[in-house]
Amino acid sequence: MKQLLEQIARGLVDEPEQVDVQQVESERLIVLELRVASDDMGKVIGKQGRIAKAIRTVVNAAAVKENKRVVVEIVQ
Amino acid sequence: MSEYEATGRTVDEAVEKAITELGIRKDNAKVEVMDEPSQGILGILGNKSAKVLVKPIFEPKEFLEKYLKEMLVNMSIEGSITVEMDEEKLEAMIMGEDVGVLIGRRGKTLSDMQYIVNIVMRRQFKNLNKMTVIDVENYRARREKTLMQLARNVARKVSQDRYEQALEPMTPQERRIIHIALQDHPGIKTYSTGQEPYRKVIIAPN
Repeated sequence: MKQLLEQIARGLVDEPEQVDVQQVESERLIVLELRVASDDMGKVIGKQGRIAKAIRTVVNAAAVKENKRVVVEIVQ
Repeated sequence: MSEYEATGRTVDEAVEKAITELGIRKDNAKVEVMDEPSQGILGILGNKSAKVLVKPIFEPKEFLEKYLKEMLVNMSIEGSITVEMDEEKLEAMIMGEDVGVLIGRRGKTLSDMQYIVNIVMRRQFKNLNKMTVIDVENYRARREKTLMQLARNVARKVSQDRYEQALEPMTPQERRIIHIALQDHPGIKTYSTGQEPYRKVIIAPN
């Protein structure tokens, strides 16, 4: 899950080496904290959060198999 | 244009110039240094600039295939990917037994994935003026057939009953399929109403 989010984020930003994902997992829930360079924030969020929403959809599709819910948090 | 020769005062400067010209990112650039820069006598006479030849490591088609393959691995999904490229688009087809999760409810996951991949492709290849279409197990063709059937059935009913009917919310591509399917249908007209992503087609008597 972590690798998937890293892959997606790296392809979207200008500074791929600054992409960092922390994964916190509990029984039913996975929380992924995504950090990118501050100039790249807009590139992973998009207008009205459209890119962020699309990222969440794809990441959650991957979680279906594991029967878990994934929350993607984009943090400063 | 798949390779570019550039010169500059330093190798870095020449590489920068070439990747800008090619519209690719540095991590996808293969650099061949043809001439190292050298300082002439007193820094004036016989100065030689750096010359490099740069080409992309992966062309768009290979890049897309590699990107989607990596995505499947990262999602623990087994599947095969074929990519075709023509004048106007890059088309990737994903086939496999458990790739259904990539479609999602009414194709939501597929269209969001395609949206992301299109942004990634434009970032990687700035000069690429092709749209990227992703399909899973021929979902798009099957969906188109279903939508055309639905359109004709509802249109028949509307032209009989003379009452308008709203279809469920659809994506712009799906609404387009409905409009086109019914453009020559007698006795009815179609239009869209509402705001994305809830915008839907209305089939009304003419």
